[in-house]
Amino acid sequence: MTQQSTRRLTKIELIRLRKRLTLASKIRRILKDRLSILVMEFLGIARETVDAKQGMLDDFSAAYKSLSITAGYHGYLALGKELSGAERELEIISGSRNIAGARVPVLEMKDSGGKEGYSQADTSAYLDRTSQLAEKCLEAIVALAELQTTMEILGKEINRTKRIVNALEYRVIPNLEETIRFLKMKFEERDREEKARLKRVKAILEKKVANA
Amino acid sequence: MLDNNRYDRLLQESVKNELRVLNSQLPSTQKSLEVLLREEIPSITLRDGSLHLFKKKELKYLSDITDSSLWNNLLLPVIIEVNPGEDEYSIVCRGEVEEKVFSAILGMPVTIRHHRIVIYKPQLAVIRKILKTTTLYLFSPKILP
Repeated sequence: MTQQSTRRLTKIELIRLRKRLTLASKIRRILKDRLSILVMEFLGIARETVDAKQGMLDDFSAAYKSLSITAGYHGYLALGKELSGAERELEIISGSRNIAGARVPVLEMKDSGGKEGYSQADTSAYLDRTSQLAEKCLEAIVALAELQTTMEILGKEINRTKRIVNALEYRVIPNLEETIRFLKMKFEERDREEKARLKRVKAILEKKVANA
Repeated sequence: MLDNNRYDRLLQESVKNELRVLNSQLPSTQKSLEVLLREEIPSITLRDGSLHLFKKKELKYLSDITDSSLWNNLLLPVIIEVNPGEDEYSIVCRGEVEEKVFSAILGMPVTIRHHRIVIYKPQLAVIRKILKTTTLYLFSPKILP
């Protein structure tokens, strides 16, 4: 009401308000589309995250099983000795991609080139299998890290966009519409008053003419 | 309290700003699949100066479903146009290669109209699930006053 009372009752003001309402509606449309895309992406990523998490747990379970078989075959001491020189640097390429204005990370493990780092002659196929499974676990961790970070960023972006959409939908646009309605009502009232005044003047003039 | 002109300007700016944020992801140039396959770290620069990384897995997938003679014609990232207030999305395409790629992904024939392939939301979800880094959204600037 305070907003309405401070408005000037002019046609220019009404035109300005209508323009403002069109603009606000346009922003709402853009943001709503953005929100729907963000939600669609978020749901897709959430499903993938669940699958990736399950996959990672399965990979770890298989890797630990394989490791215990390998340790049983070689013995802990021999395995430890063989693997002490097998350390290698892990390279992860990190970049970003953009989903409807939200920048999310892209992580990719660089291909190691298949070098195992331990003697192939002194070890068994069990160790090779364990090594392959361990590498798969690392890939799963990297994939899961990317998915979870993406989900977190998208969640925050959805919240932010939703707040703006709600503010526009339930505050700004209804206020503008109400003010426009108020101004229109005032103009109609003014018109009616004008018409009544003219009728009254006409009646007085006719009375004067009749008396004269 | 903001005066009228400032309030109008603020609204106008916010429309432009929203579109700027949304379209900051647009690439400054597109690269062909052939070029990207040869790069060690396949990437492109976006309009906001940031680097957009392509997943090798996706490039491999695209190279598998397209004929090697068409790799040079497939420009990446593929732009998906979003028209505010509409339920359909359009994929900007220049030739037949995009038609073939998206037909293969969706498992149904698609048609090109005015250099655009029209898709719907469920189809968009399928495409985005497979081509995460090789597609980008473009929010149509038609809405600007």
